Amino acid sequence: MELSKSELRRLTLPLFRQAHWRETLPATINEIGPGPAEIDCRDWQLGCRELVQLTTLMKEAGIEISRIYASLPETIVSANALGYPTHLNPEQTEASKPKVEKINPISNTKLLFHQGTLRSGDHLNAEGDVLLVGDVNPGARISAGGNVMVWGRLRGIAHAGQHGNKQATIVAMQLRPLQLRIADAVARGPEEQPQVGLAEEARLEGDTILINPATTNPLNN
Amino acid sequence: MAPTTRTILICSGKGGVGKTTLTANLGIALGRQGIRTVVLDADFGLRNLDLLLGLENRIVYTAQEVLAESCRLDQALVKHKQEPNLALLPAGNPRMLEWLKPEDMQRIASMLAEQFDYVLIDCPAGIEDGFKNAVAAAKEAIVVTTPEVSAVRDADRVIGLLNTQGVSPIQLVLNRVRPKMMANQEMLAADDVTDILALPLLGLLLEDEQVIVSTNRGEPLTLTKSNSPAARGYANIARRLQGEDVPLMDPAKEGRGLRAKLWQLMQTKIF
Repeated sequence: MELSKSELRRLTLPLFRQAHWRETLPATINEIGPGPAEIDCRDWQLGCRELVQLTTLMKEAGIEISRIYASLPETIVSANALGYPTHLNPEQTEASKPKVEKINPISNTKLLFHQGTLRSGDHLNAEGDVLLVGDVNPGARISAGGNVMVWGRLRGIAHAGQHGNKQATIVAMQLRPLQLRIADAVARGPEEQPQVGLAEEARLEGDTILINPATTNPLNN
Repeated sequence: MAPTTRTILICSGKGGVGKTTLTANLGIALGRQGIRTVVLDADFGLRNLDLLLGLENRIVYTAQEVLAESCRLDQALVKHKQEPNLALLPAGNPRMLEWLKPEDMQRIASMLAEQFDYVLIDCPAGIEDGFKNAVAAAKEAIVVTTPEVSAVRDADRVIGLLNTQGVSPIQLVLNRVRPKMMANQEMLAADDVTDILALPLLGLLLEDEQVIVSTNRGEPLTLTKSNSPAARGYANIARRLQGEDVPLMDPAKEGRGLRAKLWQLMQTKIF
């Protein structure tokens, strides 16, 4: 029982056009944790060299690769050459997108913890909630399927409830973002400087994003 | 190989903030302290470190020939005419961009490290291949930025990339500061910049017309007897790099200094 469960664990790379796997991999590895797992390379064309880099990163995190999936034959060939069991995905098109959304329900309640400042150009993405200890600098992005919590200054772009969760909130020790997004709503950050030393929380009320002093624990609702 | 050699990358992300000028002046300032220094031009596409140092007409071989092993390293090194402790390794022609690999830069840097105490690498603007090649060779970095939103944003991106490459320590130089504008809050304050970038400030340089004059002449400011604010700033940065504790200049005081002195002078004369 245990075995068949763990065999289902699958680490999926982002689509080639959406993000670079090098950027999202640390977060994904963090989420899936050590143990055996399958990798889905999707539409990435990976040579042996890249594939070795990818697998080394995973091995360092204690992930044992049981099988490599890919939509491109080139990647399959590289994976075969490295001696991994492989499987060629059926043609992946935009229509197969719902498959992406089929996430393990457990991962929705999972918390991604990240320590360190997100600098301009960085993007931290989590399927569930995300807790960042550090700042989000201007030009950086933090996004989550659930709540976004920043133990630091939020000065970049934050997106909570990116799969449509309207209950999601964004909390930061200092909330002065360029832009806030919750579910489908988008708001520009406040023009005036916020009070120092007062944690603030953004939540969706109707169609507008409101910012209030943070009072409740966002995980309680 | 000298184990104490410091290989420092001078980069910024954005162009035109003063990487090359800092490299040239720092090279001279360090050389004046009796330290064997080499400046390596990693900006193969748009090289002009040789121009700033006034060494353009002395170049015979470049890094390209060294890598191709068609000349020895010491044949390619151009010794500065007035500062014998400083040498330049010129960039080859822009076609090098097509084949140069990070390993090649590492090879050059380790060759230079055998002969010098300081290797300063002048990094190209941007974060593409040229930058990646230059980073591969460096152990430490100095990030140059100006008090402008765009320059700070680019610097932030570069610092993030340097962090992932394991370059440490990274220090910050704030260039082209205008004390008056800073006092009137028309320009980002030094605190605002360090607040975002979260790096120790190695130096603060004032906007100075003398820099343009010296660039056009091919004589770095630190070479002349100039006592201009920028010349002092460069010298101080070199001393801080050496571990000396030199207090940072306060732009507010620097702006007021002369006027305050004049005012004092007038007062004493009248009364």
